[in-house]
Amino acid sequence: MAVRSRLALLGSLSSLGSPGSLGSPGSLGSPRRGWRSLSLFSGPSPSSWSKVVSDAEKIVGYPTSFMSLRCLLSDELSNVAMHVRKLVGTKHPLLNTARGFVYDSKHNLQMRGLVVLLMSKAAGRSGSASDALLPDMISGIYPSQRSLAEITELIHTAFLVHRGIVNLKEWTFSDGTLKDMQFGNKMAVLSGDFLLANACTGLAQLNNTKVVELISSAIGDLVQGVYYENSNSAEEGKLSVASWEDQVFLSHGALLAKSCQAAMELARHDAEAQTLAYEYGKHLALAHKLNSDLQPFMKSGSDPVVFSLDSAPAVFHRQIVGHEIWTHQLQQAQNSTTQMDYSKLWTGIRSGGGVKQAVDLCTQHGNTALEAIRRFPPSEARSALENIASAVTRF
Amino acid sequence: MAAQWRRCWRGHGAVTGVVDAVCGVTAGARGPGAGCLTKEVLLPVRNTHNSIRPSTFTRFRSGFLHPAARSCCCRIHSDAKLKDPFSLAQEDLKNLYEDIKKQLLVSKTELKALCDYYFDGKGKAFRPMIVVLMARACNIHSNRDGGLLPAQRSIAMISEMIHTASLVHDDVIDGADMRRGKNTINEVWGERKAILAGDFILSAASMALARIGNTTVVSVLSQVIEDLVRGEFMQLGSKENENERFKHYLEKTFKKTASLIANSCKAVSILVNSDPEVHEIAYQYGRNVGIAFQLVDDVLDFTSCANQLGKPSAADLRLGLATGPVLFACQQFPELHSMIMRRFGSDGDVDRAWRYVLESDGVEQTSFLAQRYCHEATRQISRLQPSPERDALIRLTELVLNRDK
Repeated sequence: MAVRSRLALLGSLSSLGSPGSLGSPGSLGSPRRGWRSLSLFSGPSPSSWSKVVSDAEKIVGYPTSFMSLRCLLSDELSNVAMHVRKLVGTKHPLLNTARGFVYDSKHNLQMRGLVVLLMSKAAGRSGSASDALLPDMISGIYPSQRSLAEITELIHTAFLVHRGIVNLKEWTFSDGTLKDMQFGNKMAVLSGDFLLANACTGLAQLNNTKVVELISSAIGDLVQGVYYENSNSAEEGKLSVASWEDQVFLSHGALLAKSCQAAMELARHDAEAQTLAYEYGKHLALAHKLNSDLQPFMKSGSDPVVFSLDSAPAVFHRQIVGHEIWTHQLQQAQNSTTQMDYSKLWTGIRSGGGVKQAVDLCTQHGNTALEAIRRFPPSEARSALENIASAVTRF
Repeated sequence: MAAQWRRCWRGHGAVTGVVDAVCGVTAGARGPGAGCLTKEVLLPVRNTHNSIRPSTFTRFRSGFLHPAARSCCCRIHSDAKLKDPFSLAQEDLKNLYEDIKKQLLVSKTELKALCDYYFDGKGKAFRPMIVVLMARACNIHSNRDGGLLPAQRSIAMISEMIHTASLVHDDVIDGADMRRGKNTINEVWGERKAILAGDFILSAASMALARIGNTTVVSVLSQVIEDLVRGEFMQLGSKENENERFKHYLEKTFKKTASLIANSCKAVSILVNSDPEVHEIAYQYGRNVGIAFQLVDDVLDFTSCANQLGKPSAADLRLGLATGPVLFACQQFPELHSMIMRRFGSDGDVDRAWRYVLESDGVEQTSFLAQRYCHEATRQISRLQPSPERDALIRLTELVLNRDK
């Protein structure tokens, strides 16, 4: 298949439905989560944010949206794209993820890769003896670091896809026929596995077993974080603030933290630089997750709101009011129909201290990220990373 | 005799490439025994097209039920006693599953239970067995005494982990509810968690692999992961053209089954010997045994249930897959072609295809092909210095052909 027609095929996915329809994700668990994660870095006011991103992309000399192009253009994914069209009209989450995949890259939101590249450039050459053995830099970044950035995106995308696997026994007939769901699952398993396999071979080509181990452990972290994402811990009121942070680190922070660290390792930077890079990645990811969790609570009262009960303000609110009151509030929001009345809960949470606590925690993580990056020598790449960390703490 | 052998097959178009692939390398090594066997099996294909021929079947079966005859023609010293591979590898594989479970570091109990689920010691550990035997055979070949290297044992462990991770995902893709006599992970915990458990096992395998600290070995086994997925993708599609279809089938078989065995064998040889020729021997043995293993598996899908349960199982047909026996049968019964193309999706397709296959000599042909691959595996491994482990690997090829479950 010619490159052009493959792009057209992928493009057709994005037109399967208007992205606007994704704004009302109330009915399903997994797709909402999938989409929410996709728009991860789209939280702060869009115009200023995209400026931060496009400026940063110029610095690394590489449009990050093209990073996974090799993978996107493979026979395997073209095949999936063709099959995914059969899912139009069904409710399989893969449809949204695929749509978001295209939408995502169009809007330059492959932020993990971008951060890894900026971090690589900010750290520069290590000046150690083995540095002479490394190949030439392009725009101040080693080729292996560019591969790593791509691998990070591949892994992230693989988990977006695997997050959207549905449990067939939980689907009733009204949700679409079982066959559609089975087929969607099959496509989701295969395409996620394909992305992961490409990440594995890409990792092997870096010729650094320490990096392979580090990134493999990040995959393990991601699994553990994602595994408990949809569990009922929130409703049962078991998720404490500390365990919320632990879990969000696994599901949203570990990959970025360890990729930033690995980027330092690839340039033979010392343990201190590796730790700083890790810290920046970790705290940026946590601040960002808090920021996006807070978005529904920053709107005016008239908009319809939907938020996850696992999101930071909800979790913190529950901690503050105590289990009993929380359970009561949940019952009140749910009493008439099976559908949750989110606006009632929303008002309750907004009037409590959970929102403020989440904002404070977001600022705290953002500042820790800033402190870490400021230990690197000043450069435009460092400034871009500072801008990113500042942007995620603005509301 | 080789020429005649090829000619017979050429008459049937579809397998030309295969035969060239297998035969091209074996031609020199084949003794008279193999030639006779070939003739016996292939003659009927040339002559008849629509009846069951019990006499041929018997002759053919008896051909490969007597391993001694084949061992001879493969120039194994007949006085060297062939050791049972399982008992020979037993010592090295002690605590294998315990060690694997130690690699799966998870704090949460439920996820841990899912990850450990298939490492219950009830598997055959077929891949680790080949890996440790190959490792020891290579060590002796390289004049290195002392036991298995720790890194080689890690490869044995990793091979089982990669295999298991792919089983967990395959079961979701195929919607399977039973495996090794128990419910599948997806059946018990749902599809979503099953996929994540598979991903976790893979990440743990990848970490263990990295800790060996050898970049070549990391590359060799990463290739396996890619092959497994590509093989699974190949299984989604079928080819219109018969020639291509057979090639497609064998390539898929290599990627889905043989690549893991071949590359694990290669990895343990790399760890002890720097000679690329030794790596190639190890790889080719694993590749040929792996393909044979899967061909026999595909045969058993038709024969084992017919004998044991008295009713068709044909799991592959139900999944829409046309394996070796069907592809061979299609040469005799072109009616199968349209059924293959619609992946046995119409009412009664599975039963009809099943009957065609048993009426044809598809099963015998596939078994014969498996035998060719085992010959080649034996020829390859015979290039190593003699050792009990090397001979056990030879013996293993016979076990692969004669297994009934």
